[in-house]
Amino acid sequence: MNSLVDEGARPRDVTLARTGAKVAGDPVDPVTGNAAARAIGEPAAPASAPAADGTGKALPRRFRQAHGRRLFRTSAFRLSLIYATLFSALSAATLGFIYWSTRDQIESQVDARLRLETDYLINLFKSGAMPELLEAIQRRNQIDTYGRFYYLGNSESAAGEQVAEDLPIRLKSVRSHTTRNMGDVADLPPGSARAFNPVRVAETQLSNGLKLTIGHEISDEKALLDHTFALVVGATLLTLLFSLIGGLTIGTSVLRRIDSVSRTASEIMSGDLSQRLKVTERDDEFDEIAAKLNQMLGRIEDLIRSMRQVTNNVAHDLRSPLTRLRNRLEVTLLEERDPQNYRAVMGEAIEDADSLIHTFNAMLSIARLEAGLDATQWEAAHIGELAQEVAELYGAVAEVEGLRFEADIAVDPLYHCNRHLIAQALTNLLDNAIKYTRAEDGLVALSVRGDDEAFSIVVGDNGPGIPEHERERVFQRFVRLENERNSPGNGLGLSLVQAVVRLHGAQLELTDNAPGLCVTMRFARKR
Amino acid sequence: MRILLVEDDVEAAGYLVKGLTESGHVIEHAEDGEIGLQLAVANAYDSMIIDRMLPKRDGLSLIEELRRMGNMTPVLILSALDDVDERVTGLKAGGDDYLTKPYQLSELIARLQALTRRAQTGVQGTVLNVGDLTLDLIRHKVTRSGQNINLQPREFRLLEYLMQHTGQVVTRSMLLENVWDYHFDPQTNVIDVQISRLRGKIDKDFDSPLLHTVRGAGYKLQEAASTVETG
Repeated sequence: MNSLVDEGARPRDVTLARTGAKVAGDPVDPVTGNAAARAIGEPAAPASAPAADGTGKALPRRFRQAHGRRLFRTSAFRLSLIYATLFSALSAATLGFIYWSTRDQIESQVDARLRLETDYLINLFKSGAMPELLEAIQRRNQIDTYGRFYYLGNSESAAGEQVAEDLPIRLKSVRSHTTRNMGDVADLPPGSARAFNPVRVAETQLSNGLKLTIGHEISDEKALLDHTFALVVGATLLTLLFSLIGGLTIGTSVLRRIDSVSRTASEIMSGDLSQRLKVTERDDEFDEIAAKLNQMLGRIEDLIRSMRQVTNNVAHDLRSPLTRLRNRLEVTLLEERDPQNYRAVMGEAIEDADSLIHTFNAMLSIARLEAGLDATQWEAAHIGELAQEVAELYGAVAEVEGLRFEADIAVDPLYHCNRHLIAQALTNLLDNAIKYTRAEDGLVALSVRGDDEAFSIVVGDNGPGIPEHERERVFQRFVRLENERNSPGNGLGLSLVQAVVRLHGAQLELTDNAPGLCVTMRFARKR
Repeated sequence: MRILLVEDDVEAAGYLVKGLTESGHVIEHAEDGEIGLQLAVANAYDSMIIDRMLPKRDGLSLIEELRRMGNMTPVLILSALDDVDERVTGLKAGGDDYLTKPYQLSELIARLQALTRRAQTGVQGTVLNVGDLTLDLIRHKVTRSGQNINLQPREFRLLEYLMQHTGQVVTRSMLLENVWDYHFDPQTNVIDVQISRLRGKIDKDFDSPLLHTVRGAGYKLQEAASTVETG
């Protein structure tokens, strides 16, 4: 029992101890003074601090990593990377070509100079003046201004060796027109700074077994070439670097735009349909897409609003009769009644159900028509004939109701349509006209006027009519004006007419018949 | 009448079986298209009621299969799809009539009887007779007790349809569909007015009425007035 209480008390004490230490900075816990609690609380507090810090750092790092990964995945980055690589490769190739041709040019210039010298010395040799030749070589060697070295050696006899002894630098025999290190082709004092200087060599066999070798040190040229090479490499790397930075920058800015779009999209998805994407003044492709998406959102918002309206109306108009039906049955069941009573109530219940079904069917038809889901094959129909049929039916009804009925169907236009729907729309209009015209001298009139190109079907009456400010409203579903609340009907008649008219690309007009209402459906042949 | 009902909604089928049994029919129920096909092949029925959407074998495919096998038993299709096009599809598959759910029991019985009768009598003659009322389809002439009766073209077709279904209940929507080709119900009961006009022409001046109203169901053209049913 005791231990249980202690166990239960511990966590609370720990919290208190920690809070006390943190907030008040008091080393002695004034609240609990509990040794056990302190013992647990103290090591817990410092342990939690780094953990908190760790998560604090880890989150942005992880975020940055994620952001980085996303950045590398953007198409902008990928494209700029490809572009950077291609561009760098191209510039490297161009600069490389320049480098190689410069090198070639320099070498052939050096070679030309070497050939010139060789020709001069060979001419001396050919004229037979061996001492002059040797003198010339000695002199040139002493000057050594242009980094040129001469050597006359014997490849076979010892005579050559003798001549060679007089030379300050001995050149080894090498293949002509190659570039070597000085140290490889010449006898230099050990540790000479010139050992690694490049030298271009030309070698000529003389007829007496002697061999003329001329070397040309090309350190300056080599330095120039090396510098050029460094420039080429540097330029290539710089191009690559700037392209990468450019790619990252473009990628980031694209990502930022996209992020703003997707953030807004998330907000919209979470239910706030009034949100819109930001459209900047740059008027670029992103703004174009954002504007288009905004238009789409506007349309969706409208649709949802009207759907909400419809569901509300449906809920209202189906719920009230359903409630009525349910209550009727429930109240009947409250106590024993005679069979006659049950029969009457059930009859009424069936009537309620029928009226529900009628409303439901009408709603379904309208919804289907408004969604443009009329699968029926359209065909050319004789509108006058169709109107005449309806006129016969309703003329008889009007007569029974004590109303005058006038049909003026002088034309019989041929029109491509769904004749069932046109007939239904017409019967709905006549149903309404007969229902609302109750005057002593009541009149309902149906007329078809026009020709094959454009015609109108007009239903007029001299009933109460519809006040001008209400005329737009009566097209809404379930709208029933105050004075018709108690007459039968579901308030869907005109909505259906309008849906049919819209489906056929025609126009519907309500006008004052002074007195009464005049409904005109205007059709025109489709092009 | 021996009727086969193929309907997967057991509760709805239960009401239908009860209603049809109480109005004097023998009815057998199959819950899916395959069982329906087996029953239809094994037994001889006067008519069949087949739901359009069924498990295992779709209603339309069941009808097509039966027709392919040479079974010509009249079929009434029940469906929740009420497009004019759906009707056409159903009738093309071999159905004889098409009734949209929800329906009135009296409507269903009337249509079943019309189907069965049509199947039994086959081709109609060119002159129809009910009592002393005669309708000549060729000469387009109606007489009663030798007296000429002038009818509008539409009234003539209305009477023709009623006479083709003599002794049977004909519902308002059957008349709308078959005489006017309207597949919707106008709110005003235009049919009642048409019937009363027709009645004024064929019954008014004669002693025994032929055209009777069947309460809660429709109309019936019949010689004797005593056998009027109640719906």
